[in-house]
Amino acid sequence: MNNSIAAAAASVAALQQKLDLLANNIANADTVGYKRKTSVFEDLLTSLQPQENAFNQPGRRTPIGFTQGWGARLAGMQIDLSQGSLQPTGNPTDLAIEGNGLFEVRTTGDLAGPPAYTRHGDFALVPTGNGDRILVTNSGQPVIGQVNGVDDFIYVPDGYEMKISEDGTILAYNADGSDVQDLGKLKVVQVTKPDLLQEIGDNLYGVPANVNPADVVQTAVLSANGGGGLSVRQGFLESSNVNLTDEITDLVSVQRAYQLSARALSSADQMMQMAANLRG
Amino acid sequence: MLRGLYTAAAGMITEQRRHDIVTNNIANLNTPGYKAMDAVNRAFPEMLVSAMGGENPPAGPLGSFNLGVFAEENLLRMAQGDLHQTYRNQDLAIVSDIQVNGAVFDASGKYVDAAGNVVYQPQAFFTVAGPDGRPRYTRDGSFRTAADGTLTTENGDPVLGADGNPLVVNEPWDTISVAADGSLLDAATGAPLPGNPRLMLTRVDNPNLLLREGNGLFRYTGAPAGIRQVQPGDRVEVRQGYLEGSNVDPAQSMVDLMTALRAYEANQQVIQFYDKSLDKAVNEVGRV
Repeated sequence: MNNSIAAAAASVAALQQKLDLLANNIANADTVGYKRKTSVFEDLLTSLQPQENAFNQPGRRTPIGFTQGWGARLAGMQIDLSQGSLQPTGNPTDLAIEGNGLFEVRTTGDLAGPPAYTRHGDFALVPTGNGDRILVTNSGQPVIGQVNGVDDFIYVPDGYEMKISEDGTILAYNADGSDVQDLGKLKVVQVTKPDLLQEIGDNLYGVPANVNPADVVQTAVLSANGGGGLSVRQGFLESSNVNLTDEITDLVSVQRAYQLSARALSSADQMMQMAANLRG
Repeated sequence: MLRGLYTAAAGMITEQRRHDIVTNNIANLNTPGYKAMDAVNRAFPEMLVSAMGGENPPAGPLGSFNLGVFAEENLLRMAQGDLHQTYRNQDLAIVSDIQVNGAVFDASGKYVDAAGNVVYQPQAFFTVAGPDGRPRYTRDGSFRTAADGTLTTENGDPVLGADGNPLVVNEPWDTISVAADGSLLDAATGAPLPGNPRLMLTRVDNPNLLLREGNGLFRYTGAPAGIRQVQPGDRVEVRQGYLEGSNVDPAQSMVDLMTALRAYEANQQVIQFYDKSLDKAVNEVGRV
């Protein structure tokens, strides 16, 4: 009796979690650089009811024992890193990555702190008070560039305009174009194991504490003209890769599965009621 | 006590078991690689009855009947599930349609030839290392990569390659394509990766000897002769970017749920009638 109720209850809980995931995807259908999450179900442990050897009657096909399942659970969530479409904005601090890559930022202002990664290229130049401006995300995390292979924040002097080419090289031009400064290269990393990326809020991804970041991401070498499938586009923003049609279709099938499990639950409840009413 | 009381009680317990199995099927409607189970009932062994006492009791037994029913076993229905495209490079699905000489299998995977021999359709599975180190089998192809590059199931069990060791891949998966026989190739050039890694696909001749353990895994309990790796001539394909859905039929499951419930109710009514008869015997016939 409890088996039906336990299995149906476990399945309903798992479907609820999936519903939450779909709702999160749909809510972020317009977020710049958002990557949708998917998940899979898996069946719960199956118990084997022991049967005596006398149960081995002629015509029996399976080994001795009666297997009983206990429902399903949500096994794991995966991030779908497929490319979103690029929208031109014309804003020189808006950057978008085309291909499998992420920008690197620091969550605190400390260069030696833990790295975080993002596709949310809606950056801004914020004055530091030292006569230059620092490139930050729109939540305030400074973006990492590389000068001669060493990580550093990106500072653009006041009065200079920043221009980033497709291979990530950052140049600063002053008002009349007479002075050009080379500010290094924007650091773009390539994800080798997307299953290990974790969402840490503010549309950022991090690596879990017990995992070496070198196992999950590697610095990408971009070539000019976007060869190698990876390029940085200035003046563009990448829209979310959520496809509303797919999400709504999943929503409908989850709702129907929920309904069926709830029906099984109420059927089990009816059976318990019959047993309880056996004697008046 | 009246015999029928225990028969009806056995009937209720059996229908309860059947209801449990159908509920588990419904709960796993969206589980990739899940194979539906069907409960099989069996009657208790028959008993001969003869008349005793009275004036001229007939000689010999009157006949026989069964004293009850029990849920005997849980059969796996190994029909191929539908393929869903997920576009994820680590999602793999097996399409298995292994033929055996001269056998035309029915929908449940069974063939009975003219001499009465029963042949079951062999099935192909991915091979996974179980927690005790011995192999387990699964159709759930939603794999992920661990930090050291090992391909694992969602639960963390390593997937085995054709050489029997866990498959370790250090290139990013979006540059890898999986061929129909399970070999891993470079997506750009089509050449095999260094070391020629290939998934181990196992062919089980009699899928009824598989015991489900949960978490998508099966354990093989038959003779070693009935299990081997898939050969090139078997009709087995691995498709990348797809997941095999569950093969549970929701409409059939709903009908099974209703029949189990009504059979349970019918047995409950029988018990209540016996209860009334016993009530009369105890309270009215035996009244002093």
